[in-house]
Amino acid sequence: MSPQPFRTPAGGLIDRAKPFGFSFDGRRLEGYEGDTLASALLANGVRLVGRSFKYHRPRGILSAGSEEPNALVELRSGARREPNTRATTAELFDGLEAASQNRWPSLDFDLLSVNSLFGSALAAGFYYKTFMWPAAFWERVYEPLIRRAAGLGRAAVAADPDHYEKAFAFCDVLVIGGGPAGLSAALSAGRAGARVILCDEDFALGGRLLSDRRMIGGRPAADWLAATLAELESMPDMRLMRRSTVFGVYDHGVYGVVERVSDHLPTPPPFQPRQRSWRITAKRAILAAGAIERPVVFAGNDTPGVMLAGAVRSYVNRFGVLPGREAVLFTTGDDGWTTARDLADAGARVVAIVDARAEIDAGLRALAERIGARLVTGAVVESAHGGKALRGISVRNAAGHHVEMACDLLAVSNGWNPTLHLTSHQNTRPVWDATIAAFVPGAMPPGLVAAGSAAGRFRLEQALDGGARLGAEAAAECGHGRGAGTTDRTADDEGLPATPVWRVSGGSGRKRGKAFVDFQNDVTDFDIELSAREGFRAVEHLKRYTTLGMATDQGKTSNVSGLALMAEQTGKLIPDTGTTIFRPPYTPVAIGALGGHHRGRDFRPTRISPTHAWSERQGAVFIESGAWIRAQYYPQPGERDWLETVNREVLAVRAGVGVCDVSTLGKIDLQGRDVGVFLDRVYCNTWSTLPIGKARYGLMLREDGFVMDDGTTSRLADDHYLMTTTTANAGKVMQHLEFCHQVLWPELDVRMVSVSERWAQAAIAGPRSRDVLRGVVDGQHDISDDAFPYLAAREVTVGGGIPARLFRISFSGERAFELAVPSGFGDAMMQAIMASGRDYGITPYGLEALGVLRIEKGHVAGSELNGQTTARDLGLGKMMSSKKDYIGRLMATRPALVEAERPTLAGFRPVDASQRLRAGAHFLGLGQPASIENDEGHMTSTAYSPHLRSWIGLGRIRNGATRIGERVRAYDPVRNGDVVVEICNPVFFDPEGARLHG
Amino acid sequence: MRIDCPHCGSRDVQEFIYLRDAGPRRPDGMAATLAEMHVYLHERDNPAGRHRELWYHGSGCRAWLVVTRDTRTHAVFAVEALPASVESAST
Amino acid sequence: MAEPSSSAAGWRSQSAWAGVAVSGHLGADGGAGVTVCCLRDVGMATLIAPKRREAALIAAVEARYGMRLPEDPRTVENGGVRAVWAGPDQWLLVTADVSGVETLREVIADLGAVSDQTGSRAVLRVSGRAIRAALAKGCMIDLHDGSFPVGAAALSSIAHIGVHLWRLADGPDGAVFEIAAPRSIAGSFWSWFAASAAEFGCAVVVES
Repeated sequence: MSPQPFRTPAGGLIDRAKPFGFSFDGRRLEGYEGDTLASALLANGVRLVGRSFKYHRPRGILSAGSEEPNALVELRSGARREPNTRATTAELFDGLEAASQNRWPSLDFDLLSVNSLFGSALAAGFYYKTFMWPAAFWERVYEPLIRRAAGLGRAAVAADPDHYEKAFAFCDVLVIGGGPAGLSAALSAGRAGARVILCDEDFALGGRLLSDRRMIGGRPAADWLAATLAELESMPDMRLMRRSTVFGVYDHGVYGVVERVSDHLPTPPPFQPRQRSWRITAKRAILAAGAIERPVVFAGNDTPGVMLAGAVRSYVNRFGVLPGREAVLFTTGDDGWTTARDLADAGARVVAIVDARAEIDAGLRALAERIGARLVTGAVVESAHGGKALRGISVRNAAGHHVEMACDLLAVSNGWNPTLHLTSHQNTRPVWDATIAAFVPGAMPPGLVAAGSAAGRFRLEQALDGGARLGAEAAAECGHGRGAGTTDRTADDEGLPATPVWRVSGGSGRKRGKAFVDFQNDVTDFDIELSAREGFRAVEHLKRYTTLGMATDQGKTSNVSGLALMAEQTGKLIPDTGTTIFRPPYTPVAIGALGGHHRGRDFRPTRISPTHAWSERQGAVFIESGAWIRAQYYPQPGERDWLETVNREVLAVRAGVGVCDVSTLGKIDLQGRDVGVFLDRVYCNTWSTLPIGKARYGLMLREDGFVMDDGTTSRLADDHYLMTTTTANAGKVMQHLEFCHQVLWPELDVRMVSVSERWAQAAIAGPRSRDVLRGVVDGQHDISDDAFPYLAAREVTVGGGIPARLFRISFSGERAFELAVPSGFGDAMMQAIMASGRDYGITPYGLEALGVLRIEKGHVAGSELNGQTTARDLGLGKMMSSKKDYIGRLMATRPALVEAERPTLAGFRPVDASQRLRAGAHFLGLGQPASIENDEGHMTSTAYSPHLRSWIGLGRIRNGATRIGERVRAYDPVRNGDVVVEICNPVFFDPEGARLHG
Repeated sequence: MRIDCPHCGSRDVQEFIYLRDAGPRRPDGMAATLAEMHVYLHERDNPAGRHRELWYHGSGCRAWLVVTRDTRTHAVFAVEALPASVESAST
Repeated sequence: MAEPSSSAAGWRSQSAWAGVAVSGHLGADGGAGVTVCCLRDVGMATLIAPKRREAALIAAVEARYGMRLPEDPRTVENGGVRAVWAGPDQWLLVTADVSGVETLREVIADLGAVSDQTGSRAVLRVSGRAIRAALAKGCMIDLHDGSFPVGAAALSSIAHIGVHLWRLADGPDGAVFEIAAPRSIAGSFWSWFAASAAEFGCAVVVES
């Protein structure tokens, strides 16, 4: 540990009883609780904290807030390493590891700083000019070079071990910012009884009151702050959110907030997230985000030791740190003078005060005298020098003479820009206020108003007054009355605002040294001149040509200066030059925070069938199928690969009996007098003739004539039907049916509800399926072929009175049933089926075998129902009724959908039975080159058929039905497949369907 | 964005699914020409401003709603339950 | 016909929470800021009135159960039968016992459509001083007293899972909610709930 040479002996809001050890680039240092990383570094005399993006210039700390463009560091190590974190907002904790970034090999000695010498090659537009030729060099030479030389920090490679959360909140009034305006607003809204949420990005509430020595009501502002916080904390419907940045304003009063729950701790405490992203819905919101101080553009203005004057006050007053011992103040208004006063009072020597104004108030002159500072009026700082640490400045006085001054700190005060970013998130533009030489909020998003400095009302009294008034108004607009309680809102005087100096020119040409407008992107005044000369004068062009205002800080300290300089170049006024509007997020937000709980296994909800545990006990291998986790196959000991397992399962179904979970199918209960009519209108085939106790296969089209879904629907009673949908389309079909019913045909008496979750369903397939079921279904139900033929569908009971439904339907082409029982009995059903089937060698089969069985039978499924196929394409054209209207009827007759050349369903077998087929292969005529013109269609599904001892496939090929016996190429360049296949009937197995009826 | 469902109250837009312009009425498929059905299905104005739209409250009450919205600002002027504002074409 | 929970042939019904949640304490040590009871499967049915003819159905329910079906998002309960608004002209009827669904079918007869939903939802009863903070991590509706009083009900989604939730009478720790999620998604729902409640400490009771 080292002492903290730049820490003041007393004062500040740090807890000197709680020292924290931390490291920067491996060097062990010490700070205190209440420090930021930046204040702790400054306390230790560390000023060089990073290298700039393009030129690798040494950079220090410019600000004391989230606007910081320079002091970007990597925090933590290993999987928790986080790049591009602002040292000025990183809260210090014991054990914090921080490292500088964008330097090589070290911060102090950076070889890439030679970039600075080649500055002309890296000037504005350099990407577009320098690296254009030869074209082949871009990817191999230029881009890797640029990526090495320029850039920010390194992201961690390992997965983030911490967890993140999302959360939702609602309030009457959202207050954005916890300074004097925000606290006053929260207080008056809260007193009126409104539900209030106040967010501040800082870990301490108070805003500038923490950094400035001010008086409210004749007493130190700290007293007002303490009393206000105490009252706010006591309110039941008041939520004070520290470390919480409102990063976006969305439609209808929705605000995005990121709460840094554990960033100030080495690791999150057990069960606490690292960060939490909030979506806050507020009836009204008050922007009290304060203001950001402006730098001045002069040569060497990026030298470590040149800082914003307000930031210097923060370090001195809030953190008890002297950012330098020999200070000069460069100011264009009265506000900067308080920095000189506070520095002197804290023990620094104020060498000089350089005020750009010729006329200075007598009181200020007296202050300069009191603190022993040399006063130079009507003067500007023309350059700063020192390389890695400020050593001195060159001042040009009113007479135009240069005065050299030695100093290690230059505090720059050039007025403030309202922090109005959120006001333009809905595409409304700020407006220029010449009286304060700053943009202020213009038209606002509905429900949002600005208070205090964010509204350009910089005086403390204005902040207190405006906040209180707007807070009360917002509460009243939410239906609350006026609250009781008073607060003294008089504050001490604060002098005259700044008359900004945007740029100090001088020196000559290259020798002058670089004067930065945008520190983070290394954009100089020269770049803006170049941009103007080359015609990129519109503010949008300026941004893209020079990169002004890009990257993590989004130009918080540079946009207005950039506009001012462009205005100077083009001889226009600043508001005529343009305004910059801002998009979310206000500051960078980690993707992890936006994802919250939803990553890894929880990326999205997964669904499991009521028979899942049973399948697990059978040793099933599972696969994700849409949202479902389904049994893929059930390997037995000794089986070498999945194909061997699947072949066994397929053969078992065809030879004896198998059982497979089909609970995942969508099931919709339809009741009402007009269900038959309704089904006629939503399916392309006829339904009104379906007898009670029967199931029918249905094909549903979209209105554009393409197939939407298929499934069987059963008539359970006169006005009671049960529809099944494919697993994948269950939700979509429900939505479609609701549309048809509510929007198209509300006059029909149809009542529908999803019962997908109500039933566990199993397919029992194979010649012995009825024998197995005989032992499962209660004895009084006759399930003989006569009483329960193909397509019978009835309510039965199992297990001595448990309601169940039995359907004689088949996907496999075998005699088969589907049995549905209440979900709670899913496991019991599988056990009962297995027990009953033991003597018949019943075999569980999974999704793979299900696929083989259906492909052998030429049944279409998801790969064929892909939204691009018509009923005719799938060989199902005959199902389309001509006697009635139904969704898709007319559009399916469009010429392009019925032209003879359209690819239609066919089967495919390799001529050489040992060759494998792959779905996705395209069909080409034999000997035809692989070109789009020769493409005749593609393979949609393939499987290995153990019966045919060959791979088989379904696909769509031009004129498919008329080309049986013809040979074509199945061409699959992605997997090096090129197989000669024979076109065949898509029904590979039992084409007569004899087995279906037993 | 938020939509004030007439059945459920104000909800996040995430609960809703947008379908289309609420104006077009489905013609009777037995009587209509292909051209008429084409107009119903595909031809849409794309107004900059007030627009009546069909939305489905899929994660809520499963009701289809007619939302009148400004396409430029997302301001919602009205949310109506069916069948108040969309008449059946087939009766 | 409503099913018994087990039968002569040895068929036993399994709770939607079987294999998902276990009784005990999860998350932070110390007291439980959240209490959750994973309810056993109870009788459940969807009741849908024919359009513009709901009055007769409402009257029949009132006559039999002594409660008026709510026509806005609320829940009512009487004598162990609960009705929860489930959309325009729709209700979810919850009965302590699966045979309740059969009774309902008889009461409604042809006045409306009854669809048995027993076992289709996995239901949590949640309470505790931190329950709103825990639910806020996924629940997209405002559960504040002013917006969601005792007896309020809602269909919404939590953590991308469609849920039906309603508020019971307050208990000793304040607000008590029941949340019904689709049975097949109980695992994902529990994963979200457990993660969200963990920081407050959570007492878990799984009904058998």
